[in-house]
Amino acid sequence: MAIDRNKVINDLSKLKVSGNSEGLIPAFGVLVNQFPADFWNSFSKKILDAAGDDLHDAAETLLENAAGECGYHTGYGIITSEEFNSVVGPMIEEKPEDVLHGAYGVFTAWGWANSEITELVPGEKMVVRAYDYYESDMPGTKSHCAYMIKGVSRAFMDLAYGDAYPNGHGKFKCEQTKGLETGDKFAEFVVTKA
Amino acid sequence: MTTTTKTMQTSQGSKIQFQPNQQFDGKKMRHYVNGQTSVLHCHHYASLFSQLADDAQDFQGPKLLADASCETFGQVLCDYFKKNNVTDTCDRIAIAEQYCVFSGMGEIQFQFGPNSGTAVMSHCHVDEGWVKKWGQRDKPVNFIGQGFIQGCWGAIFDRQPSECKVEETQSIVCGAGTSQFTINW
Repeated sequence: MAIDRNKVINDLSKLKVSGNSEGLIPAFGVLVNQFPADFWNSFSKKILDAAGDDLHDAAETLLENAAGECGYHTGYGIITSEEFNSVVGPMIEEKPEDVLHGAYGVFTAWGWANSEITELVPGEKMVVRAYDYYESDMPGTKSHCAYMIKGVSRAFMDLAYGDAYPNGHGKFKCEQTKGLETGDKFAEFVVTKA
Repeated sequence: MTTTTKTMQTSQGSKIQFQPNQQFDGKKMRHYVNGQTSVLHCHHYASLFSQLADDAQDFQGPKLLADASCETFGQVLCDYFKKNNVTDTCDRIAIAEQYCVFSGMGEIQFQFGPNSGTAVMSHCHVDEGWVKKWGQRDKPVNFIGQGFIQGCWGAIFDRQPSECKVEETQSIVCGAGTSQFTINW
């Protein structure tokens, strides 16, 4: 692997973000917001509790889907951005594998999850580990709840091995097999073809 | 107009500046803004959360999203006011407006009278993001903004946010030039 993860994190974590004069943050082809993580966790928890047993799975799917679309569209904006190309670009030897490794460097640097790829079978399977992530702060959770990492991970595989953007979304699925929120030392996510 | 201006509380005249303390923890790999874990998300994510809330009308989805927003952002402002000893109402309104801009939620202006007030958003992350993703719709969807305003009101006046009612009366997502909210207590 040619990607120097520490350098990616070190270089890109320095980014300071704030709204422009209109209160908006246009970046990577999308509008970005910078909210406290508690807000996202709070709504996820409230909607899952309100959904009850009957609709719990459906609510989980929709939360993951939100992250899937976020990861697909914003992920594309990130890996084609000037910031990504200037920091990660010179390290890329093999596409799309090195791009994927670089993307998890960005994912870590920008505070979504301290995560990395631990296994990658090109076009087939990816295993990701996360050592810290804000979703694990969700209060009162007894089951896996890293919907954001799940959705983004399958979206990253879509970007790497699906049809060319924007036609490749939904070709992969992701299962969370371990989680900090369930007492494991790290979270693990297995992405395979849908 | 003079009478109205005298009885209305706004940020006008305040010189206070919101000071974000942005830090990155290289061990946990988390970003913090004024001590709170902060995360970047895009309009796709915000739109799909808003849609999920809207689809969940049967179990008060819009209220749940507004409550999450109210509780979170209200606490952010309460903490900021306390830590920085911001006690003047005019200054508090200014900080709330500036925090809205900083967070990327949009541009907002508050006006508060004795028992009611208004909030006008000339730019709005939720509405403009929704339009960018799906186009206009015929009813408001900015439950996040509604909760934000309620949380701001509670923090500014040291009151329980549940004591006020916020209603969106005009929306960018419906094609209006600004989003407008009434606040009653």
